Amino acid sequence: MAANPDAVHNSIKPGRWVRSTCKMCLHSCTNLIHVTDDGVINKVEGDPTNPSNRGKLCPKGNSAIMRHYDPNRFTQPLKRTNPEKGPNIDPMWVPISWDEALTLVADKLKDCLQTDPRRIIPSLEDFQKMNIWVWPLAFGNFNFFQSGGTMCGGAYHPINGYVHSAFAAANDAKYCNFWLNDGTGDGFSSHLHAAAQSSWVADARVNRGMRCVTVEPRFSISAAKSEEWVPIRPATDRQFALSMCHVMVKEGWCDYKSLRKDTNAPYLVGDDGYFVRNAEGKIYVWDSADNRARLWDDPAIGEFALEGAYTVEGKPCKPAFQRFRDILANCSPEAMEKITTVPPATVRRLAKEMYDAAGIATDAKIEIDGRVMPLRPAAYNYYRGAQGHKLGFQTNHAFKMVNFLLGCIDAPGGHIGVTLDDQWVDHSHIEPGENGMIKPNPHQLGPVPPFAYPPQTFHLMDYFPVGVHPPHLNLEVFLNPEKYGLEFRPDTMIVCHSNPIWAMQGPREKWFEFMKSMKFIAVSDIIPTETTQWADVILPSNDVFESWNMTMIEPPHTEGMCMRQPAVEPLYDTKSEEEIFTELAERIGVLDSYNEVLNYALGFVQKPELKLEPGIKYTDKEIARRKGLLWNGKDLDWYVEHGHAVTERRLDKWYRPWEGMRLHFYIEDMVSVRDDLMRKMEAAQVPFRHEWAWEDYQPLPTARLDPVHGEPPEYDLYGMFFKDIQINFGESLSNPWIQDIVYRDPVHIALMLNPKTAEKQGLKALDIVRVESPYGMIFGRIGISEGWHPDTLGVSNALSRAKTQSKGIKHAGGHFNDLLPYDLKNTDGVTGQPETVCKVKITKLQDWPAHLKNGGSVYDLVDEIAKPGKGRKH
Amino acid sequence: MARYGMVFDLKRCIGCNACVIGCKQENSLPDGVFFTRTLSEEYGVYPAVNRVYIPTLCNHCEDAPCEKVCPSGATYTRPDGIVMVDPQKCIGCGSCAVACPYDQRSEMKAEAFKDGLFGTGELTDFEKQGYPRYTPGMVTKCDFCSGRVDAGLDPACVVTCPTDARIFGDLDDPNSKPSKLIRERGGKSPLPEKNTRPKVYYID
Ligand code: SF4
Ligand code: SF4
Ligand code: SF4
Repeated sequence: MAANPDAVHNSIKPGRWVRSTCKMCLHSCTNLIHVTDDGVINKVEGDPTNPSNRGKLCPKGNSAIMRHYDPNRFTQPLKRTNPEKGPNIDPMWVPISWDEALTLVADKLKDCLQTDPRRIIPSLEDFQKMNIWVWPLAFGNFNFFQSGGTMCGGAYHPINGYVHSAFAAANDAKYCNFWLNDGTGDGFSSHLHAAAQSSWVADARVNRGMRCVTVEPRFSISAAKSEEWVPIRPATDRQFALSMCHVMVKEGWCDYKSLRKDTNAPYLVGDDGYFVRNAEGKIYVWDSADNRARLWDDPAIGEFALEGAYTVEGKPCKPAFQRFRDILANCSPEAMEKITTVPPATVRRLAKEMYDAAGIATDAKIEIDGRVMPLRPAAYNYYRGAQGHKLGFQTNHAFKMVNFLLGCIDAPGGHIGVTLDDQWVDHSHIEPGENGMIKPNPHQLGPVPPFAYPPQTFHLMDYFPVGVHPPHLNLEVFLNPEKYGLEFRPDTMIVCHSNPIWAMQGPREKWFEFMKSMKFIAVSDIIPTETTQWADVILPSNDVFESWNMTMIEPPHTEGMCMRQPAVEPLYDTKSEEEIFTELAERIGVLDSYNEVLNYALGFVQKPELKLEPGIKYTDKEIARRKGLLWNGKDLDWYVEHGHAVTERRLDKWYRPWEGMRLHFYIEDMVSVRDDLMRKMEAAQVPFRHEWAWEDYQPLPTARLDPVHGEPPEYDLYGMFFKDIQINFGESLSNPWIQDIVYRDPVHIALMLNPKTAEKQGLKALDIVRVESPYGMIFGRIGISEGWHPDTLGVSNALSRAKTQSKGIKHAGGHFNDLLPYDLKNTDGVTGQPETVCKVKITKLQDWPAHLKNGGSVYDLVDEIAKPGKGRKH
Repeated sequence: MARYGMVFDLKRCIGCNACVIGCKQENSLPDGVFFTRTLSEEYGVYPAVNRVYIPTLCNHCEDAPCEKVCPSGATYTRPDGIVMVDPQKCIGCGSCAVACPYDQRSEMKAEAFKDGLFGTGELTDFEKQGYPRYTPGMVTKCDFCSGRVDAGLDPACVVTCPTDARIFGDLDDPNSKPSKLIRERGGKSPLPEKNTRPKVYYID
C-alpha cells in the first residue's frame, strides 16, 4: 500500500474552519476547528483574532482531537449489571435507552427528595458550565464532592475576594518589569490561560527584559526561564513572604503613600482586633500632623499615622500597619531562614530589587487612556503550590502583603484582580463597603449554606462562612459521623465531568469505602475514568466539538464571552449536559426552580428580557445565546461569525477599579466572622466547637508553622506534587499525544530527589521504593535531578492514575494525594483549604509489589520507550 | 525564489511541546514518531542548576547528507530550499537515517499504521484521513509543512507556539523576521562542524 500522491497536510485539505473554544482545561482559549469535506475533524488551531491566546494553543489544546476520536468514549447510556463495585472491577455495562436511563436516575433522585434531599451528593465539576455546577441549588442541596475549589485555590479565591473583589489574580504582563513567581507556573506552564499567559510573558521577558525570579522547591519551567531560582523548603512560603515584608518595613522600602490613601492600613485597631469606631460606627485614624484621633474621612486630616500606639475612646489602639509591624518583629530573614532555608542575603537583595523596580522612590506614574495612575511594575505572583497549606488564608494574605507594601495591588505593572466571569461588559466587580473600604466578596463561587447544627452538609460547609467547599472533609465525616452529629448519610451520587476518586486527597482505600456506601451513582462523562467504574448508570454527554457553550473563565488581561459551537454532529448517541440536567430537573419536579437558580447564577436577572421562564427546558444553544446577549447584546449569529467577544480588559475595570475606596490590608472580618461563628456554635452547643481552629482566623498573617512541620521525625522528607503545561488542570493523561510527550520527560516518570538526598538515603536512580506518609502510601521509582530542594521528594501528577477498566490510561504506583491528610487538623479553619504537602519516608524495595507487576504501568511504558531502536509500542 | 529557514529563540521556548503535538496533528503522525521534538537539557549543581529547552526539527540542510545518500532519489530539495521526501519513491532503506547527523529521519513502521494511536488495532477517522500521505516503511521527516507554505501559511508548529519561539521565513530576504533575528542576536547553526549548512538557527 503506497501513499496517495494527492494527500496533503491536514489543515489544507478541502474543508471548513469552525470557530469555537478549547476545553482541554477549564480556561477558554478560542480556537479554529478544521472539518474536512468528509466530515472529519483533522486540525485544531488557536484563533488569531483572540487578543488573549493570539492564535496559540498549549499542548493540551493541541491534543483535543484525540479526545473526540477516543475509542473508549461512551457511545450510549449504560447500566451496570455487576452488583459488585470496586476499583478495577468491570461494571459489565449493558446499553439502555435514554428514556430508561433518565427515568432510572430520576426515580432515585426523586426518592431522595421525598425522604431527605441531603441524601444526594453532587460532584458536578464542569467549570465551563456553571449552569450545571449550580444544579443542586434547585433543590437546596449544598453537598459537594468535587475537587475544584480546595484542591486548586481553597484559600486563594476567598482572599482574592477580600483584596481585589475578584476570583483570581495575576501579575500584569503588559507593564511588569520584575515578576516573582512563588509556587506557580503562571506565565510559563500552568494556571491562568497557560497558552495565553505564557505568550504575554515571553514577550515581556524577551522584548522588555522583564526580570523573573522563581521561588519554589523544584526547578520548574518557571524557574528554568527565570533569571534566578530561589529553592525553598515546602510549606514555608508564607514565612519567606513575611521575611520580605520584614525587610521592606524595616528599611522603609514601602509605598507609604498608597498604604495611607488606598488601604485601611492607617485605621486604628484595638487590642480586641476590631477597628476603633465611634458611636455611629465610623472608624478612627490617628492624625500625626496635629497628634489627635480623627474619623477616617475627616477632611482636616493632615497626615495619616501608620505607626505608633494611641488611646482613642478609652481604648488602647494602633494603626493596622503598626499591628503588622509588630508581627514582623519576629520575622527577620535570619529567623525565617531556619524555616525556609532561604539565605537572609537573598531575601534582603530581592526586597531591595523589588522596591527599586516598583518605582516607589520616584512615585512613578503612567498615563493610560487619559488616566494618570501609579506605575508599579514589580509584583509577587503565586498559586497552588505556595498557597495550598493548612494556614491557607494567612499564607495568601502574606503574599498579598508584599504587594500592598509595593503599592502594586491593581496598579499597572502590578498584581491585579482577575474576575472569573463579568457576565456583561459593563459589570463592575467592585462595590463600596463600609467606612470607605471596598465591599469584601469572599464567595466567588456563589452562595454558601448558612450556619446550622446539626450540619446540613456532609462536608461541614456550615462552619466555613468565608470558605470554599472542603470536599476532603466528606471522608473525615464519613469515618466519624457521630462526632459531627450527622443526622443523614448521603447515598445517592450524581457526577458530571468530575473524577473525585482520582482527584480527592486522602487514601484511596478509604475513599473506596465512601463510594461503596453509595446506594446509587449516576455519572455523566465522555470517557471512562476512575470514577465512572463506580457508576450504576452512565449518561454520556456530547464532547466539546459537538455542543454549544458560552463562557468567560478568569482570563488575565482580556475579557469577553467565548463561544463553543458544534463542529460536527455528535458521533454517538449522546446528549448535551444541559439536556441531561434539565430532563432530570423536570422529571424530579424542580425545573422551575432550576431555571430561577440559573437566572441568578448566570446573571439573567440583570436583563429581565433574558430571564428563563418556568416550565421550559432550555437547550445548550439557547443558554449560550442568552449569555452572549447578556455580555454585549449580540445574538448568536454574531458569535458564530466572530467566535468570541474577547477584547483586552477594559482599563477602568482592570486598573484600580476601586479608585477612591480603600483596600483591605487589615481583614477585620477575620475577627468578626470568627466571633459570629463562635457565638453560633456556642448557642447551638456544637460538640466539636472547642477543637475548631479559631486561631486560624487572623486579620493579619503570622509566622505560625503549618502542622505538617510537626509530623513525627521518622518522616524525614517533604513530599510535594506538581503539574506542568502538558497536564495542567483537568485530565489529559489518557490522551495518546499527551502520553507521547509526558512519558518521555524525565521529570514526569520518576519520584524525584536531589542527588545528595538520594545518596544520604542510600538510593539511586531507578530504585523501586515505597513512600509512606502518616496518612497513606504509594510506590514508585526514583529519579535524580539537581533541580530539587534537598528536603523534598517531588511527584508528578503524571504518576497519579489508577489501574481501572479504562484502557489507555497508564497507572502508576498510587496517587500522591493518597499521602495527604483529610482531617480537620490539616484544614484551614477559615477557608477549608487542606494541606497539600506531606512528610514522607522512603523505603527501598527489591521489586515491585505484586499488584504493580502485571504490565500496563507508566514505568512499563517508559522502559519500552527506552529500548534502543524502538518507537513507543513498536 | 525564497530560501526558507527557521530560527529558534531559546530565551522564549518553555519546553511545552505544543509544537510537537501541533505537528502530530498537522501530519497525522503515528505513535512514537516525531518530525519535531523539544529536548531539555539540565546542567549545573544545586542550587546553581539550569535547564535549556531546545526545539529541533529537520534543518533543511543546503548540503543535505540525507539527500546525497538517498539511492532512490526520494529525498530532494525544492527550489525554495525545503528538503522533501517523496513517499512514492522512498524504498525505506534507511540510508538517510544513518547519514543525518541530527537524528531527524523517522521510519514510518508498518505496524504503527495498523495498531493506531490508541493501540487497539483500529484506526480512528482522524488517522484514516491522514495516513494515506505515507507509504508504510518509508523514512521521512519534517517538510516545513510545505503544503501550508505553498498556501501562504506558516508551519503548524510555528503558528501554535505559545511563546513565538519558532520564527519561520525567507532567509534570502534581509528584512524577514528570521534574517533580522539571526543578524541582531547572532544566530548559531547546529553542529557547524558537519558542514551541512543548516537553514535552522538558534538564538539565546
Ligand atoms: S490553556 Fe487551556 S484553554 Fe488554552 S489551549 Fe491550553 S488547554 Fe486549551
Ligand atoms: S511550542 Fe514553542 S515554547 Fe513550546 S516547546 Fe515548542 S518551541 Fe518551545
Ligand atoms: S537535518 Fe537531517 S534529515 Fe534534515 S536535511 Fe539535514 S541531513 Fe537531511
